[in-house]
Amino acid sequence: MTNEQKQTLMRERAAALMKDGAVSYVIGWRETRFPGKTAIFFVRDEKDADMLVWDEYTIPLTAKYLTENRWPDKKIGIFARGCDSKAINRLISDNQVERENLYIIGLPCEGKKDDRCLSCTQRDPLIYDELLWEPENATGTSETDLQRARFFRAEEVESLPTDARFAHWEDVYARCIRCYACRNVCPVCTCRECYVDMHRTGFQGKHHDAAENRVFGVTRAFHVGDRCIECGECERVCPMGLPILGQTQKIIKTIEGLAGTYEAGMDPEADSFLGKFDLDDKDTFM
Amino acid sequence: MAVDYEPKIIAFCCNWCTYTGADLAGLNRMKYPENVRVVRVPCSGRVNPQFILRAFRRGADGVMVCGCHPGDCHYSTGNYFTRRRFMLMRELLEFNGIDPRRFHARWISGSEAAKFRDTVTEVTQLIRSLGK
Repeated sequence: MTNEQKQTLMRERAAALMKDGAVSYVIGWRETRFPGKTAIFFVRDEKDADMLVWDEYTIPLTAKYLTENRWPDKKIGIFARGCDSKAINRLISDNQVERENLYIIGLPCEGKKDDRCLSCTQRDPLIYDELLWEPENATGTSETDLQRARFFRAEEVESLPTDARFAHWEDVYARCIRCYACRNVCPVCTCRECYVDMHRTGFQGKHHDAAENRVFGVTRAFHVGDRCIECGECERVCPMGLPILGQTQKIIKTIEGLAGTYEAGMDPEADSFLGKFDLDDKDTFM
Repeated sequence: MAVDYEPKIIAFCCNWCTYTGADLAGLNRMKYPENVRVVRVPCSGRVNPQFILRAFRRGADGVMVCGCHPGDCHYSTGNYFTRRRFMLMRELLEFNGIDPRRFHARWISGSEAAKFRDTVTEVTQLIRSLGK
């Protein structure tokens, strides 16, 4: 099936849902005035459904936009690929959205023109009310099919000696402009009030230097690290193009070392790693 | 490195075990280095990883987190969360180029005054040798 056919299916389905009044809106993608860039689009009217697109550039994650409306009157329709469905699972287990409030239209993905899709392990949606088309390979993408190692970004830095690692992050955070785009786009970053915005508590210094940026970067990574679905949105939206995905990849890699295979967002019932404990946890503290 | 360099170490101590242990060390007139600044927290589970980042950011040479032994937590489970959190945090600090020897987590109970003294002495010596 070609992208155009899939796009037609999406438009028809969104229009039908709006016509039935089954959902209050449908979250999808539309074109922007920049070639190769798509934006998130809310279909609020039946006739707007023709603006929906599906091509190799429909990259942004739809799931984050569910948190904008926590108590919808009617269901929210949402198009979800594998990565979106992992994010939806996380939002459900974090009690940020309720499953009953969602109408999820699953879209098996063929991989987009984005770096992160090279190490994608989950192209087919995990959670959906209907699938719009059949997955191309029924088995999904296995670990061995990856075009790039799962923790590629963390491994780039890990191989360096301690001082070089410090210098690497110093260089990264010296360029950070602290626009908080990485925070805003992250689908598991869902606090209603973020610690960096509480300027009177002093949790986050307002100095604009590499050290404060580093405090922000490491804190952000630690806040979301154990729930990170590895979608790579933080890196995609970074206006300075900083390789910040390494931080959360390192956290997941460490979790795997401590507690075995770990992938967030695979199950809407699963707790996050730091939200629970095991009496037999390893520790090297004496 | 200046000859008279003295490291500054921040120790987050749980109210019920380590802080009591430190108190006992004082009662027993035990001598331990004055480089350590003890911050009392209700539980080692209270220690936000951000406290550690902030301590380093503001110039601490070393940070310690001390709490009750697993199973002894006053709040039953606080230190189990601590254990996971700081196993992860230490790896992340190392990944960020901060020498893991500058961050320590220890289980010290209320009766282990000598262990508190020994730990503080050992950590201070280690960090003094690492330099600024």
